[in-house]
Amino acid sequence: MKTMSYGDALASAMLSALEDNENTVIFGQGADDFKGVFGTTLGLPEKFGKHRVQDTPLSEDAMTGICVGAALNGLKPIHIHIRADFLFLALNQILNMAAKYKYMFGGHYDVPIFIRAVIGRSWGQGAQHSQSPQSLLAHFPGLKVIMPATSQSILESYKYAINDYSGPVISLEHRLLYDVKFDVEESQLRKGSDALKSYFVRSGTDVTIVATSIMVLEAIRAAKYLENYGISCEIIDLHSPTDIDEELILNSLNKTGRIVVADTSWVSFGVSAEISRIICQKGFGLLKKPLVSLGMVATPCPTAKALEDLYYPNQGQFVEEILQLVDKKDIPIPTEKSMADVYKKFKGPF
Amino acid sequence: MNDKQLYKKMFKQALKIRLVEEDIIARYQTDKIQSPVHLSIGQEAVAVGICESLSDEDLLFSTYRSHAFYLAKGGDLNKMMAELYGRIDGCCKGKGGSMHLAAPEVGFVGTSAIVASSLPNAVGAAMAGQMLGKKGLVVVVFGDGATEEGVYHESLNYASLHKIPVVFVCENNEYAVHSKIADRQSYSILEHANVYGIETHQIIDGADFVNIHHTFSELCASVKNDPRPVLIEIPTCRYKEHVGPGEDFSGGYRTEEELAQWKAKDALEVNSELVAECKDEVLAEIAVSVEFAENSPFPQEKDLYDHVI
Repeated sequence: MKTMSYGDALASAMLSALEDNENTVIFGQGADDFKGVFGTTLGLPEKFGKHRVQDTPLSEDAMTGICVGAALNGLKPIHIHIRADFLFLALNQILNMAAKYKYMFGGHYDVPIFIRAVIGRSWGQGAQHSQSPQSLLAHFPGLKVIMPATSQSILESYKYAINDYSGPVISLEHRLLYDVKFDVEESQLRKGSDALKSYFVRSGTDVTIVATSIMVLEAIRAAKYLENYGISCEIIDLHSPTDIDEELILNSLNKTGRIVVADTSWVSFGVSAEISRIICQKGFGLLKKPLVSLGMVATPCPTAKALEDLYYPNQGQFVEEILQLVDKKDIPIPTEKSMADVYKKFKGPF
Repeated sequence: MNDKQLYKKMFKQALKIRLVEEDIIARYQTDKIQSPVHLSIGQEAVAVGICESLSDEDLLFSTYRSHAFYLAKGGDLNKMMAELYGRIDGCCKGKGGSMHLAAPEVGFVGTSAIVASSLPNAVGAAMAGQMLGKKGLVVVVFGDGATEEGVYHESLNYASLHKIPVVFVCENNEYAVHSKIADRQSYSILEHANVYGIETHQIIDGADFVNIHHTFSELCASVKNDPRPVLIEIPTCRYKEHVGPGEDFSGGYRTEEELAQWKAKDALEVNSELVAECKDEVLAEIAVSVEFAENSPFPQEKDLYDHVI
């Protein structure tokens, strides 16, 4: 067992990717500069050459298409966006080309591209630097979407997705997690397609929490708090919105009868909507109480901290929702106003 | 091969493409072909001229109007016909249809119905080919309308910046659906490409397949010798409507007289003697392909779920 930050795990995954396969090439705006995508590509241009760690013009659409074409002709491109919001400029290539190339040509081609995009939530990021597009991307057949919540999940899922999986994968990394340190058990890394599966994080009997990305950490904090009051939460880290482990969720719900879905994006048409669909179709009757969805309120992200704190769910809301589900009163609600304050270790614009 | 033999070979290839599409028109009302068709009739010389200069290891990316390029690049006619019929023996197992043909065995990579989308794919494939030391040249064909898309600009910029050996072929038929080029573009396609430092070439007569072939062959050799992006514009004329088997002069956006100028230069229209000489053999080949398509099974439910990921 060792300790490794999320950012260090990303740097390790990028180093391994270039070491493991000489045809892997990293593309990204600033990928070769002195900041190296929040430190995750630092030192790689010097070690592997600038042709394998390429800075790009501000051309998300073409660069994605270039990665698709390069993948069709033998390379394994990794394309990095320092904000997931910029993926919207590349949606034609992602949705119309990468996601469909194999299918519409009857299986002639594989498009092994790996896209890293950072959910920019931290502080004052505003409407265009903070979005979390998993439900949009997961809607389209042909794509895999992952949302690593831990260093371990980065080490195992990146290795599989980059080296062994033959189709397009988009990983939504969370900026607030970059400095968080996690325990890593390198001898127990999941291998093969198992690396994309959901994680059973914590066993409990009263409430099931299905969470994505940083909301997994929020769920763990809420569970630890409530444990002191005799409330037992079971936590599932969804990890991949395109590879939802339905059995794991339904088995847990069968035990608890209560569920909170905590996601990093808006509630409508999102991860909680999808989990609700699964429960309605395959677990009808398992709910003892209505499902609870935790996500951002239905507005664009405001920049002012006073509004931002109202926009994102906080620990107090998380605990309160669980208490209502288990019909407990007289338990104090944490007064913490901003989740970002708990995780944000860095200073400055990023 | 002497000049006469070469002419005849290319003429026959162009005739095959035209007769295949005329057969598609004749058959279209039966609804056996169940996908929209964007016919290349009138534009065959471009495809034949370009592809005569390429080998199977050269990669060609093109558009939804690609029956001509598929066949000229050496794609199998039986598989194409079965694809149009939505059958399992189609070149894409019925999943692509007319707009999404592919024949990787002869370097016909893929086609896109989203204008300009293949441009960056070709640039990326060319970059990969250069990095991996592959011999094949990468060529991408697009229409004049594609130059209006943002990704065209992005692709030219990247290709020039990194000296990517890729040949951009602009097949200029002057219309995007029903809109004339003068109503859409504030720039000259060649001057615009020059701004990126991209060397440009222009063919004057887009109906002269032999000249297109000679010019294009020299250009390909030059790019192989000195890796860089180049762009060639070839004027051409779409005889039929944008999509579908008919003509659309009643739409009022262009006249039959406009076409007459092209038809006067079109070997397939002018050289009726050679058409007569070659026709039966080509028609026999087409009849075989139609029989192949009609006898091929429809894809099954399991095929629906194949190749998603």
